[in-house]
Amino acid sequence: MGLSISTLFSSLTRLVSWGKEQDVRILMLGLDSAGKTTILYRLQIGEVVTTIPTIGFNVETVQYKNLKFQVWDLGGQSSIRPYWRCYFPNTSAIIYVIDSSDHSRLTTSRTELLTMLSEEELKGVPLLVFCNKQDVQDALKPEEISEQLGLAGGEKSRPWSVRGSCATKGEGLEDGLDWLVSAIQQK
Amino acid sequence: MYHLLKGLHEHLTRKEEFSVIIIGLDGAGKTTLLERIKTLYNDTPGLSPDKIGPTVGQNTGKITLPSTILQFWDLGGQRGIRNIWHRYYDDCHAVVYVIDAEDRERFGEGWEVFDSVLSSPQILGVPLLLLANKQDSPTALSVEEIRHDYEDWHQRKLESARRSARYGENQDGGRSELSARKERIASLDVMGVSALEGTGVRAAVDWLFIRVQNSRR
Repeated sequence: MGLSISTLFSSLTRLVSWGKEQDVRILMLGLDSAGKTTILYRLQIGEVVTTIPTIGFNVETVQYKNLKFQVWDLGGQSSIRPYWRCYFPNTSAIIYVIDSSDHSRLTTSRTELLTMLSEEELKGVPLLVFCNKQDVQDALKPEEISEQLGLAGGEKSRPWSVRGSCATKGEGLEDGLDWLVSAIQQK
Repeated sequence: MYHLLKGLHEHLTRKEEFSVIIIGLDGAGKTTLLERIKTLYNDTPGLSPDKIGPTVGQNTGKITLPSTILQFWDLGGQRGIRNIWHRYYDDCHAVVYVIDAEDRERFGEGWEVFDSVLSSPQILGVPLLLLANKQDSPTALSVEEIRHDYEDWHQRKLESARRSARYGENQDGGRSELSARKERIASLDVMGVSALEGTGVRAAVDWLFIRVQNSRR
């Protein structure tokens, strides 16, 4: 009896949470000029828009397949990075964007990422890393960036994926989102 | 009263959790296998095969079996990122090594990597399952053929090592290594699957389910 009630209860809560999942909150983070805003609008309207450095945030609802993503694109300049944490509660997934051609700031990007992942509120949250600007000549490959980020082994509780992308051409974005959708639903 | 019942319920339905890592060369079908497992055992289906690209990172999956939870880690298999596998060895309860049974040209590379997995001291006592994937393809090697191919490859490797080493040197070392390997091989099983079509996948999960109970590391 207790068992059947509990299974009934869990299937009910699953139903409710399925309804809620229509609106999932995704944070898009990364250093300044990594391409976050370009990715956001590429996803939303399918076009490349001219952007200016984001102070504060852009938030847009992106309809993808049957899911509605509320994507928060937070500004990446060092002075406003400390405010990222205000947005951490109720986050379903993180998209972290890296400028693959910016070799000199990869360590900074890594530090910001690892600091963020250590936050209790983001425990177990799926992480998608876009190694953006793959069209630039000496862009680092996703494998190389993955190695430098050093996520392997330390981040066992969450699914994570490091992928190449080119926001201006729209390459790699959909594949990444497909992976992210699947990772969110499996949680 | 509620808490008492709740506690009792939790105690009765408590499940032990075991970790399984899925490794192998790139393109062997590790992610397809994991997504197939999710589709077979969970309410929400996994990613469909045509959406799967090379993995850089880790895919995770959790399935619930009677009294047991299996937690899977599917790790990328490209040459440059294989060195991350060992960071997962310390707390895994079983290892699945996937080989593309159709790709004859890469068997040598596959066995080379497999051999290094076999001889990793951290997972010496851990159940190891070798999956000959892509059995849906007519040109794929069967389980028996895969087993033979690996044995042949290993024989050749031993012979070439013997030839290059001076006679009399390292004989004892070689012998103890051989017996360790024999033990390792004894805890190894080979099964055929088609991650694409799902054949053999349940049998493989059953094998894992039984073996992790007994491994108790």
